Amino acid sequence: MAIAATFVIAVGATTMRYATVIREMNVLFNGQVTVVSKDAIVVQAIPISGGMLPEDSTVKELVNISGVATVTPVLFVTSVGSQGMVQAVPVNFTMGIPVDDWGLVLGPIPLRPSGHFPANDSSNEIVAGASIADQYNWTVGIDIRVNGYTLHVSGVFDTKMALLNRCLVMPLTLAQTIYNYPQSVNIIAVKPLQNIAQQNLTTAIKQRIGYVSALTETERNDIVQPVLDQVQTWTLGIEAVVFVMSLILVMTVTVMSVSERRRDFATLDAIGAPMSYIFRVVVIETLLIGVLGGIIGVAFGSLTALMLASFYTSIPVTLFFPSVLEIVPPVYMLEMFTAIVGICCLGGIIPAVNAMRMHIAEVLRAEY
Amino acid sequence: MNIRTVNLTRTFRVGSSEIAAVKAVNLELKEPKLFAVIGPSGSGKSTLLNLMGLNDYPTSGNIFVDDADASQLSGRERRRIRNTRMGFIFQTFNLFPTLTALENVELPMSLANKSQEVQEEKALKLLERLGLSNRRDHRPKQLSMGEMQRVAIARALANNPEVIVADEPTGELDSRTAREIIILLQDVNEIEKTMVVVATHDEKIIDVTDKVYTMQDGRLKAED
Repeated sequence: MAIAATFVIAVGATTMRYATVIREMNVLFNGQVTVVSKDAIVVQAIPISGGMLPEDSTVKELVNISGVATVTPVLFVTSVGSQGMVQAVPVNFTMGIPVDDWGLVLGPIPLRPSGHFPANDSSNEIVAGASIADQYNWTVGIDIRVNGYTLHVSGVFDTKMALLNRCLVMPLTLAQTIYNYPQSVNIIAVKPLQNIAQQNLTTAIKQRIGYVSALTETERNDIVQPVLDQVQTWTLGIEAVVFVMSLILVMTVTVMSVSERRRDFATLDAIGAPMSYIFRVVVIETLLIGVLGGIIGVAFGSLTALMLASFYTSIPVTLFFPSVLEIVPPVYMLEMFTAIVGICCLGGIIPAVNAMRMHIAEVLRAEY
Repeated sequence: MNIRTVNLTRTFRVGSSEIAAVKAVNLELKEPKLFAVIGPSGSGKSTLLNLMGLNDYPTSGNIFVDDADASQLSGRERRRIRNTRMGFIFQTFNLFPTLTALENVELPMSLANKSQEVQEEKALKLLERLGLSNRRDHRPKQLSMGEMQRVAIARALANNPEVIVADEPTGELDSRTAREIIILLQDVNEIEKTMVVVATHDEKIIDVTDKVYTMQDGRLKAED
């Protein structure tokens, strides 16, 4: 039971974490239309591969479209693997945003004490995600080297958002220089005027600029929602199969255990134990198995989820310990624990009924 | 407690044939005496005891407990009678292996909803009386055969039963220990005024009983 619980929690928590990170991507561009290159592959708002957009000309075109309130060019860079391939599970991200527009993209994200946002677009100041900062012992005021450039950590984000926790955010021109994308961006966030529908704006953008694709918030969600739904369905399916197998296992083991102790149950019947008492004895036994299995399973499942997170991100597992309740939320732990205890109790019902039906006369007759 | 059987019959289906373990048995156990039911193996002694102990249901005929027809009693009433008015001793002791001697003796009282203090006090008294005070915290595996049967007798006496039903109580014991158990049963019968019904092969028990019933091929053959 503990092994089943460990497996279910590890798989469930990992997929939940993935889904959460993907959903978080849209929070960054809340209320905005995103414009990307037509050939870009987009997950939520983020282009994970595909072409770049010329910054100046595209921004100029967008500003002239009626109904546009603000235009924010963003360079989003994911970490690359050893062969220069985009990683299946990118660990670190970089976002270059014009300094004056950070609030538009990131929203009101607080910094850890003594930190500050970069002073201007030409500075070499960056703000680091808390997880990266903790991993590499970066503190406010420290200088770091990225792609041969010396950068100054002016702040560390103080947020629970998984994406931002693994992100370096810097002025756009700095990001373009460091990653060698001069005058290029891969996302442009466009905020519509208050009375303009996002759908109408995207239509206008696509008509005006032939080489871009524009997505509303709903469209961005629609891209990944079927995938998330599939993942959720598969996770539920795996959980159901594991739990049904556990139920059968608990039932079989308890039936055997009751059968081995048939003389005890028959003796209980002979000395006048009520049927409800005999039923309770068996169900309480399976309940205890469930409680014990649940506790061990939740503990090991959480640990396994952290180890999986560490495995697919290459971040030391110790850095995940403080955020264990974010990776495996307490509500999920409680749900799994309750499910395990419930399954064990359910698995005890048939053996308990068998135990209730044992009578001393039949047991002794079978033995002699 | 008086136990009376009228044309008591119990048959078992084995494959396609029916075997009558007890055939039309009529007997009456009235006074608090020590009765023995003897007979060869397979003669129906244990089946008769199980029927009289309300552990089994007759195929036909009736059992009367204090003039109440047992067939009219609900399962709950039969359990209550077994718990509070009867005590059972088995050939293989049937102690609960995970419980200590004290807990084994307390169990019938616990099932009768007696308080923990009453259970412990009575169980300790019984264990002391049966010479097991120093074995109270031992589990059955740590006890000798004779000690296990004495714990079983203490358990049978826990709720002050009116009748003790003992099925081959000395069957697993050596002759010296068997003798001790027989004396104990005799004491229970004489001191507690508890009726004792014993199914046995043991001639030493037959020597001390007030009345002996002989079973052969499921029939009550004769009364001595």
